[in-house]
Amino acid sequence: MRREFSYMWRDRGLRNILLLGPLLGLFLFMAIYHTQNIKDIPTAIVDLDRSSSSREIAEKMKSTEDLKVVSYPANYQQMEELIRRGEIIVGVVIPENFARDVALHRHTRILMIIDASNTAYATNASTAVLGVTRTISAEAGIKTLLAQGMDPVTARNTYMAVDFKEEGWFNPTLNYIYFLVLAMALNMWQQCCTITASINIIGETGVKSWLQIKAAGFSKGRLFFYKSLAHIITFMVLVIPVYIFAFGVFKLPLACSFGTLLLFTLLFAIALHSVGTLMSSAANNAVDSTRFGMMVALPSFVLSGYTWPIEAMPKLLQPVVWIFPQTWFFQGFNYLSFKNPGWEFMGSYFCALLIIAFICYSLASLLTAWMER
Amino acid sequence: MDEQQVLIEVSDLVQKFFLKTVLNGISFRLFPGESLGIFGLRGSGKTTLLHILAGVDRFTSGTVQVLGCNICKSQRFKQATGLVTQEPSLFQDLTVLENLDFIAGLKNAGPADIERVIDQMELKDCLRYPAAALDAGLYQRLSLACALLNAPRLMFLDELIKDIDLYSRHLMLQGLEPFLNSGGGLVCGFSNIEFADYFDRVGWLEKGQLEFYEPQAAREKWELLLYSFKKPGDVKNV
Repeated sequence: MRREFSYMWRDRGLRNILLLGPLLGLFLFMAIYHTQNIKDIPTAIVDLDRSSSSREIAEKMKSTEDLKVVSYPANYQQMEELIRRGEIIVGVVIPENFARDVALHRHTRILMIIDASNTAYATNASTAVLGVTRTISAEAGIKTLLAQGMDPVTARNTYMAVDFKEEGWFNPTLNYIYFLVLAMALNMWQQCCTITASINIIGETGVKSWLQIKAAGFSKGRLFFYKSLAHIITFMVLVIPVYIFAFGVFKLPLACSFGTLLLFTLLFAIALHSVGTLMSSAANNAVDSTRFGMMVALPSFVLSGYTWPIEAMPKLLQPVVWIFPQTWFFQGFNYLSFKNPGWEFMGSYFCALLIIAFICYSLASLLTAWMER
Repeated sequence: MDEQQVLIEVSDLVQKFFLKTVLNGISFRLFPGESLGIFGLRGSGKTTLLHILAGVDRFTSGTVQVLGCNICKSQRFKQATGLVTQEPSLFQDLTVLENLDFIAGLKNAGPADIERVIDQMELKDCLRYPAAALDAGLYQRLSLACALLNAPRLMFLDELIKDIDLYSRHLMLQGLEPFLNSGGGLVCGFSNIEFADYFDRVGWLEKGQLEFYEPQAAREKWELLLYSFKKPGDVKNV
């Protein structure tokens, strides 16, 4: 036992992981979730009435702590597009003749749309919206009661004059199965893939048989190209049954076509493999490389903003998380599975994965050549 | 001999690892049909020299021409060389046949070449054995078979016949005869002076310097060295 303690202590990599890993995890996740709830939820207001009453509602929305009005679309369609592209989470539609209906004590309805594709975001948004609507509704009723001294029935109707109708889009029932099950499975898949890719180069150069390859004068580029191709094909072969079960058997939602999702997953597999390859080119041995792989793969899902919005993470962390292909993938996966915002919007996600792959493979080539010297 | 026929030409080769100079200005030539044994004790730099010649390691300074190629500028010579390393460097998790097949792929050799070396090194009965499970003699036979796959003109063999069974030793030496007779060149690292007689020339590598001897002279030098360490009262010395 003493020998084992001694081995664990002498292995610097293992020692750092054991000593710092749990604490780093604590600090990292504390930093991610420190806001406790999501503030500044991007909101758009469609004011179809353009009256002083409707502007008053808009102002109230604007002054709330949790909602941040970022846009005033001219019509419903524009608001729909904004929500589909993920630019807003909450959409408020004030109907035409709002002021007139309020003045005539007629029933009027303000539509509150919440993007429910991210359950965590949607739950927070829903709570925030509820707080605002209750306040506004009560204020409107009380004001009228005080001014006009009506009988109880009329007063009750008047109190409820401004009705807020909440509509959850994309995942209206906030179904956690739709939101989390496949994403969790894909998280496990990406972790396995990262660890596999993380021994791509060191798995060859770190063993004696590398001498055979060097002595044969076989092109390193060719060798690693075919090796990487085998890895990526394997990654895809592993994920296809997951998709078939998820969409075919469990009937999870898929807004885009299966081909689009597969293409996006393929690009992610390539980007992920490139990150693993880069780590494998920088490591001294396969064990260290696997450890690097684990250190990236394990927290990447939480950092991807899939379960907790990136906007709610610390400002310093926000640009950093976009370095990881997992962030682009899980964000893009959410869009594709729930909304399918189209190529124009998704193009940047596809490109980002390609750019990450290009940078990481290039760096890995340079590092491998440098290490060989 | 004609300059064109020189297989290896090494000039002022220096190899340093941090502060240690392993090879210090080595120069020599190897001609077709010649077998050169590099003798030295452990850590003398035999493997370093062989790996440089085989193009698997870089070096600090000097020039090395192998089969007419400056090895710093071209890897073309590797198409016609073979290497057997001192430490096991075959693919341990592959079988004998898989090793031959994979290395044949690396060397652009075909099925006929695989058949040829299997026959030459008598590996037919162990084709399905994992390389890691082979005994030392069989392992070296497989290593040599892999090195011979591309019908090389030049071979670098590091401790090929050390500590192996006599039959494997005989088989390998027999297999190398036609190679040398056809004009191939051989550079072998060895640390047992008894093997000196297998070579045309022996290069004695010590303190980074290489001195050349006839095999008999090398053996005599070794005997003298041994003698110098014997004490006057030693029973064997009387």
